[in-house]
Amino acid sequence: MKRFFACLSFFISMSTFAVTVQDSQGSFSIDYVPQRIVVLEYSFVDALAIVGVSPIGIADDKDPSRIASEIRELITPWESVGTRSQPSLEVISSLKPDLIIADYSRHQSVYKDLQKIAPTLILPSRRESYQGNLAAAAIIGKVLDKDDAMQARLAKHQEIMSEYAAQLPKGIEVQFGNAMEKYASLHPGKSYVGTLLQSLGFKAPPMLKNELSSVHTGLEQLLASNPEYLILGHYSSSDIANTWEKSPLWKALKAVRNDHVYHIYNPSIWSRSRGIIAAEIIAGQLVELLTSK
Amino acid sequence: MSLKTWPLLLVILSLLLVANLMFGAVSISFEGILNGFQADSEHYFTVYEYRFPRTLLAMMVGAMMALAGALVQGVIRNPLASPDVLGVSHGAGLAAVTYMTLFPTSDIAWLPAMALLGGFSAAFILWWLCGNHSSAIKLAITGVALGALYASTVDFLMLVKPLEINNALLWLTGSLWGRGWNQFFILLPWLGLIPIALWLAKSLNLISLGDDSAISLGVNANTLRLTSLAVAVGLTASCVAICGPIGFLGLVAPHLTRKLVGGQHQILLPCTMLVGAILLLFADLVARTIDPPIELSAGIMTAIIGAPYFLWLLFKNK
Repeated sequence: MKRFFACLSFFISMSTFAVTVQDSQGSFSIDYVPQRIVVLEYSFVDALAIVGVSPIGIADDKDPSRIASEIRELITPWESVGTRSQPSLEVISSLKPDLIIADYSRHQSVYKDLQKIAPTLILPSRRESYQGNLAAAAIIGKVLDKDDAMQARLAKHQEIMSEYAAQLPKGIEVQFGNAMEKYASLHPGKSYVGTLLQSLGFKAPPMLKNELSSVHTGLEQLLASNPEYLILGHYSSSDIANTWEKSPLWKALKAVRNDHVYHIYNPSIWSRSRGIIAAEIIAGQLVELLTSK
Repeated sequence: MSLKTWPLLLVILSLLLVANLMFGAVSISFEGILNGFQADSEHYFTVYEYRFPRTLLAMMVGAMMALAGALVQGVIRNPLASPDVLGVSHGAGLAAVTYMTLFPTSDIAWLPAMALLGGFSAAFILWWLCGNHSSAIKLAITGVALGALYASTVDFLMLVKPLEINNALLWLTGSLWGRGWNQFFILLPWLGLIPIALWLAKSLNLISLGDDSAISLGVNANTLRLTSLAVAVGLTASCVAICGPIGFLGLVAPHLTRKLVGGQHQILLPCTMLVGAILLLFADLVARTIDPPIELSAGIMTAIIGAPYFLWLLFKNK
């Protein structure tokens, strides 16, 4: 077995593949094509799936359904390595990965430990914009020795997105938010969904244009921001939207008066997944919602 | 009593130490553990780089927090007292959360320093408000009030910046996840406070008779109180800086120990360190093994174990 690995590593070192990219900690170099990859955020699963690579481990919060079914179909079963916030380093180590892809925001405190397990590519995922996410996917493509495939897929993505964008109205202020039990959690202008909506030709309501983190909002604050279109995600059938709809303030909303309130049931792809497939699903759902009326 | 308790505690501690090395998301045999200390072993990372420093850290933090609790209970002479009444952990929490929410892109490596600074500032503010000569009870009430102020400011920050909640909340529950050799060596110098605490043991016995009796027996009550609290602050702030505020440890461990070995500080202080180490080792073991590969925070476990015990204690003493 040892000899086999020695041979294998010899062949790998013989191959001409070597790449250096810039990640969030500086420069990252790898001189073999990684085969056993562990990813610690959902967006990286998306980036692997679109070039046909399956990770062996995912920090999926021990719930495979956290990965959108459209992405799950593209990859082979994986081992859970725990939560995204505190992934189990023991399990990661036991999988013997040859590449770990970690999120700068969540995992920089364990970056050094991860590096002791395997070369670690650390990229922004959480709090990252649509454009930043595309850039991260391109870097992942290079590291996986799938640069051509990734570039082709990204080009196709641009095509798909502009097709969707062509079917959507332009310059309208759109606000997406999840209706929770006591409040709505709005995704503002600099968030992933916010930047995605703007890339499709929508505008962010001025009040939340420069906000990055999601904003917990009551009905009065929503009225103050008063977007032209309102897209509400619902995780359950009894959320704050039920209460709001009975309120006179609700009827004062521009979106309500002009009949531009849209509902997404099971919005987890909007609120959690960031990635190429996720963006295409979101854009597709938008076209369906806005053009069916 | 204490002659039997000592070895018993040591045995439990050693068993837990081995258990912490063996069990986790991946179980390793005892032989695997021994080999795991060699660099060519397949378990080298898990055993030597991950579980071993984390286990040592749990023992250190447990011991230090328990010792801090015993010191505070000794000088405040109130069984409800714990390092929390000094507002140190809340102060450290406030500094850490402020750093995380207002500078989300900044280097996480500075977090312990920020928390440490916050802890010491909180202690300094308390001292500045109460001065050198205030009574134990005034000190405690002021500390609790300040602690509440810091805690509510933390809540405010987390409501204003909800996206940062995850990181901040995680830190605030007190966790040993991802802590390793690096944190171990940061904490190591603070062990120097332990001999100072043990040296105070005799005077702490006297002050438990009341300030007047203690003074007539030759103890400078004010100096003793300040020194003990300063040592407790140092112990707590350094631990909180590394692991976040691990709840109930400083309250429960000294209590439990007092039940086991009595209130004589020469015995109480070393034993409470053992008990604290045992409690945190056990909490972290449970946190890692209850639902692998999900890791809970050790601080949640100490609260789950600590809170009912404390209630039981209160009702039983009534």
